[in-house]
Amino acid sequence: MITGAGVISPLGDSPARLHDSLGRGLSAIKPIKLFSTEGLGCPLGGEIADFDATKYLGQRNLRPLDRTSRLVASAAQLALADSGWSIEMRNVQEIGLVLGTMFCSLHTISEFDRRALEAGPAYASPMDFSNTVINAAAGQTAIAHNLRDVNTTISTGVTSGLEAISYATELIRSGRARALLAGGADELCFESFYGFDRAGLLCRSNVTAGDFPIPFDSRRNGSALGEGAALLMLEDVALARERGAKILGEVVGHGSSYDCSRGQDSVQAVEAIASAIRHAMSDAFLLPHEIDCLSASANGSRGGDQHEAEGVVAGLNGQTQKLPVTAIKSMLGETLGASGPMQAVSLLETMRDGVLPGIPQLHQVEDDFPLTMARSKNQEADVINGLINSIGFDGHCCSLILSRGEEN
Amino acid sequence: MDRRIVITGIGVVTPIGIGCEMFWNNLLAGQSGIAPVQSFDTSEYNVHRGAEVKEFNAEDYILNLDAAHLGRASQFAIAAARLALADAGVEIGSLDRKRAGVSMGTTSGEPREVERFDDAYVSKKLDRIGPEFIQLYPCHVIAAHVASELQFAGVNTMIPTACAAGNYAIAHALDVMRAGRADLMLAGGSDAFSRITFTGFARLGAVAPEICQPFDRFRKGMIPGEGAGVLVLEPLDRARRRGARIYAEVAGYGLSCDAHHMTAAHPEGAGAERAMRQALADSRTNCEDVSYISAHGTGTATNDRLETIAVKRLFKDEAYRIPISSIKSMLGHTMGAASAIEAAVCALAVFSNRIPPTINLNDPDPECDLDYVANSARELPVNIAMNNAYAFGGNNASLILRKRELLN
Repeated sequence: MITGAGVISPLGDSPARLHDSLGRGLSAIKPIKLFSTEGLGCPLGGEIADFDATKYLGQRNLRPLDRTSRLVASAAQLALADSGWSIEMRNVQEIGLVLGTMFCSLHTISEFDRRALEAGPAYASPMDFSNTVINAAAGQTAIAHNLRDVNTTISTGVTSGLEAISYATELIRSGRARALLAGGADELCFESFYGFDRAGLLCRSNVTAGDFPIPFDSRRNGSALGEGAALLMLEDVALARERGAKILGEVVGHGSSYDCSRGQDSVQAVEAIASAIRHAMSDAFLLPHEIDCLSASANGSRGGDQHEAEGVVAGLNGQTQKLPVTAIKSMLGETLGASGPMQAVSLLETMRDGVLPGIPQLHQVEDDFPLTMARSKNQEADVINGLINSIGFDGHCCSLILSRGEEN
Repeated sequence: MDRRIVITGIGVVTPIGIGCEMFWNNLLAGQSGIAPVQSFDTSEYNVHRGAEVKEFNAEDYILNLDAAHLGRASQFAIAAARLALADAGVEIGSLDRKRAGVSMGTTSGEPREVERFDDAYVSKKLDRIGPEFIQLYPCHVIAAHVASELQFAGVNTMIPTACAAGNYAIAHALDVMRAGRADLMLAGGSDAFSRITFTGFARLGAVAPEICQPFDRFRKGMIPGEGAGVLVLEPLDRARRRGARIYAEVAGYGLSCDAHHMTAAHPEGAGAERAMRQALADSRTNCEDVSYISAHGTGTATNDRLETIAVKRLFKDEAYRIPISSIKSMLGHTMGAASAIEAAVCALAVFSNRIPPTINLNDPDPECDLDYVANSARELPVNIAMNNAYAFGGNNASLILRKRELLN
């Protein structure tokens, strides 16, 4: 059962604010201020310009936490508050954390190394070193909120966040854990941005802020990188009922697969996406017509979006003519490890108010584009079961199915 | 499907030998793999020794991908995976590709890629860094490369929980198989010798100048190392059907988080104790049934003392009976690979009734007063082995392996 959510994003720091921004078609994609993009092909990204962790974590000593850790610890604070887990309750019932992240502390790692190169190894910072591990944000967040149960970091690229939710769901199903924060995070930093830009994965130089990326559109020419953190509070049903928690929804199914061609072979790529969806469907005991909407992974990449559209059709046995589709990376950008959990947070809001955000810039789909219900305008959708996809650059595919909570 | 999961193959790439047989013989003979660092110039450091893998030829193992263009941790992982499959007698062509998966752990992913980035950045030649950075650096590429090389299209997970990552990855593979999501999993860990890691531990004053001597009164620290360990996991019924050699059953695991400090363990070993306790409960094992403990045993003053305290807190008087050894005395600390290689050691101990020694232990620390199998291997019945691993971020993981004769 999902009993709460916390989100830090450039489009709002609560599920309701994020959903409202998405519903209004606001774009986070703007010229980047965090670092210089001079000489790079893409100057745009979805950065949280005014992020201040003290707003969420108070005046405690935040010095040991790097930006990624601050994003995660802040989102954790919001998710714990939203689900009603007070400090006192956490002393009785241990809570864990499963975090998905593609890079976690890449910027800290690189800075630590560069300082040693420039000033000599004796001048490298020991405090930075403790943050160079890829599980740093999960560890720092556990310390900040006294989360002593399972603490696992999953790193599978774009699918990291959805994989983390799947992992946590399995731990709760098997009785190994009762209450887990699960989701993902990644920060915008020069090192990863440079890498994506040089690999030609970002929307290119002729772009205008707010107009790109355009998932599924024939004019798409790459994604935009974003940043943020999103965490769900997952609990076993008995615990949630016992403490009278509000229930936002339920994770009813998940599935994963791997495309060994890493996107190079369209047949294999499409089959891997379909396979993850089929696993999630059978895990949830649902049939294709019972899926009420899709939150797509599509981020504006040439091959990836096409593979996803075909993979969804195959995975749902062709029953997609009436399937409303959204792709919130059109507005948030590709937030990597945070992306799947961001989609989950937004989908829970859609289940609550019936508004499925449009894909604002989507005006020119290719001929015979199979997802006919992907629209630029918002759609009214009565969603009981929603499908979320995460599809990575390196062949990872993960699908998750959420069902609406009892209070709706 | 049988929910009892067994180890049928072992593949290791270590500083004291590549392949199960050579490694195990050298380990029982108490051979050390610690030598002057070759990977980079250490003249600016005050320590100079490491445990590197020697005479490793990636082309011997990597048949489908381009070995020369893979990071070293990916090369190690593929080699260990191939060795494990060969050891298990698995014909890759006979597998259902979609039900064959990979679960790997790491501390640093492919650190040499970010080091190359930093070298270019510092020398103002960043234009030398091209698309390969994003294709080779993110840590998930290790599991992805293994799967692409072997055409495994099932679950593909990377768990970067630092120095306990191997145990986390094996535990996850166990859950995947218990849930019936795969027929065969490759599970383990891999790390390449890293300038960043070496710099960090040296800066913390945690690196020993000459040798690694866990539990000795005059121990001076850990020695950074590298390597990979991969296990083949299969359900018991499947392993029996194909007449496979069964090393041991993966009987259960426990995970916990200190939530205390990023780099220092809890002063009473509380988190370590909880992980061990859960592992015993998960595998329905009593303290008196444990025949061997493979210690985390890094050789730092704090780790060895606190680990001893935690074992005594849980096992009480039984603690003095159980042989405990640290193979890090010979291999150094192979980071994310360490607990995977140590899990292989537990499997071999259970299979062959022999326990490797803790070498360089001549003058035991009075605060470390248990039986650490000093300096010579031992032969005795090993029915149940416990594998302990602890990491930055307070991530603790314990694994229980059980003798096949105890399976009905």
